[in-house]
Amino acid sequence: MSLLKVHRATMQFGGLKALSDFSLDVAQGDLQGLIGPNGAGKTTAFNVMTGVYRPTSGAVVVDGERMNGRLPHQVNRAGLARTFQNIRLFKELTALDNVKVACLADDRPPSSPFSRARIDGLRRQGRFAPAHALDAWGNYLDWWRALFLTSGYRADEAHIEERALRLLDVMGLAHRAGEQARNLPYGEQRRLEIARALATSPKVLLLDEPAAGMNTKEKAELMVQIRRLRDEFALGVLLIEHDMKLVMGICEQITVLDHGETIAVGTPDQVKKDPKVIEAYLGVESKELQA
Amino acid sequence: MGGVIRGLLPFAVAVPVLAALQVLTADAPFLVILSLTVGVNIVLAVSLNIVNGMTGQFSIGHAGFMAVGAYVGGVLSKVTSEYGISFLPEVVSDQVLFALSLVVGGAVAALFGFVVGLPSLRLKGDYLAIVTLGFGEIIRVVVQNTELFGKALGLSGVPARTTLFSCWLVVVVVVVVAKRIHDSSHGRALLAIREDEIAAEAMGVNTTAYKVRSFVVASFFAGVAGGVFAHYQSIVAPSSFTYVKSMEVVVMIVAGGLGSTTGAIVAAVFLTLLPEGLRSVLLAVTGDGALAQKVEQIRMPLYGLLLVVLMLLRPQGLFGTRELWDMGPFRKKRAPSPPSPLSSSASPGAAPEVVR
Ligand SMILES: Nc1ncnc2c1ncn2[C@@H]1O[C@H](COP(=O)(O)OP(=O)(O)O)[C@@H](O)[C@H]1O
Ligand SMILES: [Mg+2]
Repeated sequence: MSLLKVHRATMQFGGLKALSDFSLDVAQGDLQGLIGPNGAGKTTAFNVMTGVYRPTSGAVVVDGERMNGRLPHQVNRAGLARTFQNIRLFKELTALDNVKVACLADDRPPSSPFSRARIDGLRRQGRFAPAHALDAWGNYLDWWRALFLTSGYRADEAHIEERALRLLDVMGLAHRAGEQARNLPYGEQRRLEIARALATSPKVLLLDEPAAGMNTKEKAELMVQIRRLRDEFALGVLLIEHDMKLVMGICEQITVLDHGETIAVGTPDQVKKDPKVIEAYLGVESKELQA
Repeated sequence: MGGVIRGLLPFAVAVPVLAALQVLTADAPFLVILSLTVGVNIVLAVSLNIVNGMTGQFSIGHAGFMAVGAYVGGVLSKVTSEYGISFLPEVVSDQVLFALSLVVGGAVAALFGFVVGLPSLRLKGDYLAIVTLGFGEIIRVVVQNTELFGKALGLSGVPARTTLFSCWLVVVVVVVVAKRIHDSSHGRALLAIREDEIAAEAMGVNTTAYKVRSFVVASFFAGVAGGVFAHYQSIVAPSSFTYVKSMEVVVMIVAGGLGSTTGAIVAAVFLTLLPEGLRSVLLAVTGDGALAQKVEQIRMPLYGLLLVVLMLLRPQGLFGTRELWDMGPFRKKRAPSPPSPLSSSASPGAAPEVVR
């Protein structure tokens, strides 16, 4: 069952076609790679999928719901979470609060009329408008409950804290909970971004160069961790990565972009033999590719 | 149920304390008036801090919303003062009508906040600053030219109903509300918007809704502050709500440390008392009443000077984003953090930001 489907998306900035006719399909359990030289349009593809940019043409469908014209937060609520190539943490907040922000409203008890289970149930029936309305109204009521410190509100807060701590633990950051995000070392900031994305309970996780700036050992560990996350959280994962060897080692399917065009799609073995891909990666990286 | 009781706890403490203070200060009208001025400024500063400090937006027209509350509340009280609620004793009836006029004044200000905030907060950049500045001036010009509001002379004959008790009860309410917003998931969302709006949106935060909500809450309390103000000044004049007043509030929250409620309180108290203190000192030293009167004129330059000195010595403001309750024995592990107070993100009308 396809959780994320991009259908012939094109993104034009003035005269520049940053992405043209891009299609992709991610199902639960997938671990796919999106590669290409600098400026190929990989991040643009992520921005189109997550609603940051509105595609010039084409469609994005998340778990059966068409996302055209949806705002990024709505795309996220529908089940798509991401990290950023240039880390975008809430720098002045603690690691724990960074994750808690993303826990928003996902921790209402199942008995609540505004529970995530109920909202997801509506989504599964294809009733997307009521699902959005329920989400928005639940959020609005939370505001009043917080002002009056109702016991339900405090239970939710406790639950959020517990879940955020667990996610920090999953990413090996439990000891950093009280620390300000900006004070974490680079590699931990990247992992914190993943923990934060997971807190939104995504169906598909988009990782934009998650290993950038890490050393070889850290990278290898991260890749193992990503695979584990996919299994533990029943996710589909799509990752952008510059290190060819890593992508080839971990991904089951790879899409290659160059100048916004999709020049190859296939298994690592198919992609690395593709002459167009070799040409796009002329030089050091093409040798690396064949190594 | 237990939660609601806990939720009302601050008021259970505040009501008897304030009542006692009211009785104790019965013979000190000057002190009472001073405390009312301080109280109103605290309400203005703490509420504006929700928008400018916590949410990282930049509103510079708080006096406009204060004016809305002052005039609406004032007119309402004038009209209803002729009637009263027949089955209640007069004092009680007066206070009920007073509370009603505060709430209605606040609600109308909140409505204006929604109308002004929704279009300008949807956009990134400095629109809010421009629009709020314009709004403040428009409101002032409108009341200046409306018969109902007494034109340039001001609205006179608003019944004097503000007491130390009622004014400071409003202070307690706004502080409790600000703290609860800050500590809840909503507060975290506001802080996230301040830190990185794009990331907040990507994490499922409906940034527009949160920004508008915090702006509406701030507008509501500015309106209530206006109502409190109107009911101790016998006359409500448009000159009380110029952009100078708005800037005064901005100075308070920047000086106190954007994002810190306690900082806003301390700065509001200090900056309100400063001219008063200066006046008394001048009067005592020179014995010249005329010179003391000049204090009013040098107030704004003085604030400006203070702010420049403060920004040089302590750019994050007195408290940074910290709160009194985060310090000392209650201290949580968290370093002081300076969000640059006067800068704001993109300029209006920019092309879609490159997001990486
Ligand atoms: N908002 C934007 N406005 C104009 N050009 C953009 C914008 N976003 C991306 N681009 C351009 O699109 C191209 C692809 O960029 P990007 O998707 O970031 O590449 P990468 O594959 O390295 O992630 C680049 O030429 C970039 O300058
Ligand atoms: Mg990129």
